[in-house]
Amino acid sequence: MGASMNLKELKTTSLKPLHVNPLKLSQPMGATLAFLGIKNCMPLMHGAQGCASFTKVLFTRHFNDPIAIQTTAVNDITAVIDGGDKGISEAVENITKKVTPDLVGLFTTGMTETKGDDIKGATLLLKEKQKMVYVHTPDFEGGLESGWSLSVQNIITQLIEPTTQVKKDKVLLIPNVNLSPIEVEKLKEALELLDLVVFALPDLSDSLDGHLGVKQGALSSGGISVLDIEKLGNSGAVITVGRSIKKCGEIFSEKFPQSMHLHFDSLIGLEASDDFYAKILAYMDEKSVPNSVKRWRARLQDVLLDTHFTLGKAKILIADEPDSAYAISKALREAGSTCEAYISQRSEVQEAFTCKVAIGDFEEVEKALPQMDMLITNYHGERLAHKHHKALLIRGFPNYEQVGIGLRHNILYEGSCAFLCEVNNLLGHH
Amino acid sequence: MLNESACSHNKTKKSSCDKPKPGATSGGCAFEGAQISLFPYADAVHLVHGPDTCLGASWETRATLTSYEGENNTPLGYCTNVTTQDIIFGGDKKLADALSYIVEHKNPKAIFVYETCVTAMIGDNIDFTCKTAQDQFNIPIVPVHAPGFVGSKNLGSRLAGEAVLDALVGTREPESIHPFGINLIGDYNVTGDMWQYKPILERIGIKVISSLSGDGRIEQIQTAHTAKLNVIVCAKSLVTLCRKMQERYNIPYVSVSFYGKRDTSNAIRSIVNAFGDAELIAKAEEIIAEEEAKLETRLKPYHLMLKGKKAILNTGGNKSWSIASALQDIGIEVVATCVQKATEEDVAIASEYVPIVFKNPGVEQPRLIDEYKVDILLAGGRSLYTAIKKRIAFVDVNQEKKVSYGAYGGLENLASDVCSALANPVFKLVGKAAPWELV
Repeated sequence: MGASMNLKELKTTSLKPLHVNPLKLSQPMGATLAFLGIKNCMPLMHGAQGCASFTKVLFTRHFNDPIAIQTTAVNDITAVIDGGDKGISEAVENITKKVTPDLVGLFTTGMTETKGDDIKGATLLLKEKQKMVYVHTPDFEGGLESGWSLSVQNIITQLIEPTTQVKKDKVLLIPNVNLSPIEVEKLKEALELLDLVVFALPDLSDSLDGHLGVKQGALSSGGISVLDIEKLGNSGAVITVGRSIKKCGEIFSEKFPQSMHLHFDSLIGLEASDDFYAKILAYMDEKSVPNSVKRWRARLQDVLLDTHFTLGKAKILIADEPDSAYAISKALREAGSTCEAYISQRSEVQEAFTCKVAIGDFEEVEKALPQMDMLITNYHGERLAHKHHKALLIRGFPNYEQVGIGLRHNILYEGSCAFLCEVNNLLGHH
Repeated sequence: MLNESACSHNKTKKSSCDKPKPGATSGGCAFEGAQISLFPYADAVHLVHGPDTCLGASWETRATLTSYEGENNTPLGYCTNVTTQDIIFGGDKKLADALSYIVEHKNPKAIFVYETCVTAMIGDNIDFTCKTAQDQFNIPIVPVHAPGFVGSKNLGSRLAGEAVLDALVGTREPESIHPFGINLIGDYNVTGDMWQYKPILERIGIKVISSLSGDGRIEQIQTAHTAKLNVIVCAKSLVTLCRKMQERYNIPYVSVSFYGKRDTSNAIRSIVNAFGDAELIAKAEEIIAEEEAKLETRLKPYHLMLKGKKAILNTGGNKSWSIASALQDIGIEVVATCVQKATEEDVAIASEYVPIVFKNPGVEQPRLIDEYKVDILLAGGRSLYTAIKKRIAFVDVNQEKKVSYGAYGGLENLASDVCSALANPVFKLVGKAAPWELV
């Protein structure tokens, strides 16, 4: 691995007084997805109705599935006068008239943060009526990844019951927001294959995986149960995937010092997958893995060799959330590709990048694109890739073009094979 | 502000402009309504003054087509990306800088500046900043005061319409004034709906002076005051704009729908009758007869399959009756239509077209499907599950539809889509039990 880039060397476009075709999505949107990974949960966005409506439409079109979400629908009167508690209690009252959520995930927006609403107080007032978790997620700070991460941090501190017990074979898996529902499931399976009992928090693997439900639920249809979350304290290890949620693992270890924190910046590619198995095996004091894992590693070795002819010559531009852009660039580097990345917001993961990385919007992306062979980004990249005749791999949020987003598997040995082959084939045939 | 004398439902209840209910609301906000109303002006830059969220989730989403040959700004996203720093110190300077950047790099015909919840709360002086920039750059820079918290999508559309009226309409004089000039108000040309009927109007001898805002141009809307008639297409929210234009410029207005054969013909008649010119009326009748005959020929292949099929409709506003009338025109029996999101006026019209109108789709839709042995449900994507559970066909008729269902040409698309859905085996197939569920 090459030397880490110094943060100071990073080019930034923050001097521009506006975003032209933004890459960034917001903290409340990340929080929404996090709460959708909890069973029978109602994400409740504290803001004007549009914030929830935009979010609902974006994720509905992205996942092609119904999205449960509600809003406190702050209006011009409550925006000025109300401290937030009235709108919140009214919202909870209206929600519970129709459905019985196991949890209401309450999170803020730019407006309610600007006026400084006391959401903790509002939650406390309602605690006899409804189990709730509150999170501060102003949309003038951070982005999709930090909104997801902050939600998980607050679920850990507010919901998990104190305990000093520990079960070595029970692990808590915290995925970052970019992992697809099926990737969370594959990761759980990989750990279960090593005889671990795994709980993912949040768990989108059976809530937004696109399965045909019995009925269209007004609440999240799958995910980890609140009961299971409350009992997570005795996990022997907390496994975090992605720099954006490293802090979640740290907070968990702080609250439950008897657990061990295993962190991975990425799970795509040979090195990242090897690192995953090395740390898990060390934790379990094991030396071997099931044969299927060995076979998939051998296939990945072969795929790396098969794809290096094409990938080795390719110049690839990635524009995505920081954790995802990092994982993709690292995997492509292994087959010799030259990468450049644009990320939607500042992130600690910047330090880990070995390729050129900048914070930017699609205007910047388009300027850099003519020199590249391929663009990896969300749906908004389609127009640009067409215009400049470049290969396109759609990754990230939103993706309105394709179906099966929840079923895309690109991690560990097996998923990395699929990823490298897909990139190789797109480069050859665009 | 919520009192609109031209709204017929306003006498008893202001249902469509009601305050949203916390925890029981799923619609968009005023900001979104303003966006929808003005984004189709492709030659203007649409700058959102707020955090990236307001735009990050909403740019490049609506298929509002344009024939503008320059850079099409409709799908693009411009945002001042207000951050903590701006909230503390104010965002006016950033807005001014952003306006300079846009003029320098994009050379637009105008800039619309959308206020959002955050910039309204921190008290940015958007009017002043826009005015200063307008004087400096000599292009219209129009502030749109429709932050999300002031209300629903409808209200935002209305505020945006009035912003255009105040800042643009009447600011330019055309070279000549057409005797049969109209403004098209409230058609956003989603999937090219406007292009289904605009050429027909032009063949009759009517000239579209300007539109708000499907396929619209800034220079044209500046001359909108010289039109002889305003034609409201499917958008009650812009009735205020039309009333004010009547008061200010003495322009009368008619409200029409271009969905279905009968309604399209009636719309054309409403327009020519408003002018009262005998020659124009005769020409219109001639072209209506010609278009209807052509349409009948094109619809022939679908008749056999559609005959006697029963449908339920669940959509919003005046689509609760206009799509029903379109379905009837292709030989489908419309059993019921949902009027949950319709005004009282629309409910009254819907009752004339459809025997059953209902308000609670969650409960009544499945019951009606069983009771009347319905073949197809036409609704927004959210009703898909109802259709699948009942193993009947489904067609999405809301804004995420892919092709135009407007006017004569669009009706053929609708017939084709309904036929494909009815013929598709998946609706029955996916409802089958698994092998291990069979006893």
